[in-house]
Amino acid sequence: MAEIQSLNHSAICVHDLQEAEDFYCGILGARMASSTDFVTEDVVKGRSLHKSIILSDYLIALMLARDFMPMPADAQNRGAHGFRHAFYVPRARFDELLSVLRGGKVPFEGPVEHPAAGPFGASVYLKDPSGNFLEFLWRRDEGASYDVVQGVGEG
Amino acid sequence: MDASGKTSTGPDIAGLCGLVIAVDDPGRAADFYCRVLGCRPLGADILPNAGSHRLVGLAGGGIIALARSAAREDVSDSGVHLALSASAAGRDGVARALAAESIALHRYREDRAAEQDDRFYFSDPDGNRLQIVARPGIPGPGVASIDHVGVQVPDMMWGEEFYGKILGLSVESRFGLRTADHARARIWARGEDDMAPGTRRNDRLYMMMGGQKEVPRTNMQIYFRAGDGIIGVYLATRHVQEPPEEDLSGAPRVLVAAKRAALDGAAERLAAARRPFRGPVEHGAASPVAASLYFKDTGGNFIELCALRGG
Repeated sequence: MAEIQSLNHSAICVHDLQEAEDFYCGILGARMASSTDFVTEDVVKGRSLHKSIILSDYLIALMLARDFMPMPADAQNRGAHGFRHAFYVPRARFDELLSVLRGGKVPFEGPVEHPAAGPFGASVYLKDPSGNFLEFLWRRDEGASYDVVQGVGEG
Repeated sequence: MDASGKTSTGPDIAGLCGLVIAVDDPGRAADFYCRVLGCRPLGADILPNAGSHRLVGLAGGGIIALARSAAREDVSDSGVHLALSASAAGRDGVARALAAESIALHRYREDRAAEQDDRFYFSDPDGNRLQIVARPGIPGPGVASIDHVGVQVPDMMWGEEFYGKILGLSVESRFGLRTADHARARIWARGEDDMAPGTRRNDRLYMMMGGQKEVPRTNMQIYFRAGDGIIGVYLATRHVQEPPEEDLSGAPRVLVAAKRAALDGAAERLAAARRPFRGPVEHGAASPVAASLYFKDTGGNFIELCALRGG
């Protein structure tokens, strides 16, 4: 059996790389890790056009979609449009996140309270400008180590 | 950002006030620019650091130095071009004059909304691609002023850093970063969209994806506002020989008008960014510009930031 430790990164498609960079870096505070196909050397090689950003400690490659993707309805901020990335935010800084979203005029749903018996406290749900769903949540068990992936049914 | 964390505003740039164009024979080129485009002759060898040249003037006050240059890179497949503005009547007059010279006109489309209509392209006798754009409020026949220029760089992020942060120019528009741009490139690849050179490319993939060996793309372009002019920066689609590192003035060159004090500020910014420059150099009374700061962008394109007399 392969020894797979954890999720390493994600590659998601966007419709506008500049708009995506403005959202992830300008509003959510991600940092730019790399840009590909912005130099002649990449053009000569025919590499794909994408930027990699790091949001907290997680790398997301923003790939420019060659074709238009179906978009969720404007009013829908919660769902799994193929997938949804959920990021943990310390409870003490959760309100700060909400202020950032409001300041950036980013529509969101929530905070949605989760059952008191579970590890999740509350979540907000939103989309990036290309319609990729995101979730930000605080956990009741903030002291727990997340390097250990919890088994199904434990959380 | 500067040390205080404030966004830099850059030099106080008025617009594009001149060009140095590389030609084989300055006299022959001056004849063409005056007879066909309606420029007026201003003299010979009077623009500092332009070598052997003829200087011609535009009705709106801009200048073009037609400089002798033996070795020139062929960039006819790139986005490199020079755009001159005229009234609608002036544009039509130039078109007729070009037709009389049996010079072909092209009606390529470009991505900028400002260049969708009222324009055509041609090559001067030395192979420099020129564009004539009609703008409202411009009087008289012939070409009147420099509307925009297109240059190419090998690194768009570095180019944006240079034009945006060091020179402090704001971005007017970008192309090549959206799925919609890809969709338009496919129309071009089918031969249904006659786009200007440098705006589209057909990439040969280094890894075959789904059996696809080639993919059409909109070549990346960023247009910066330079006062009332525009500098369009294109991603070079092949490697191009740049001038020697020590050369800071040459042809082709774009002259950008700024206030005299702005030259000192730009020199400080270039020094802080460890970019080579020369000047500001004060010129004598015979020069059409009072002072100049010479440097290159990150693609080796010559730029002269100059203070106009009385400015």
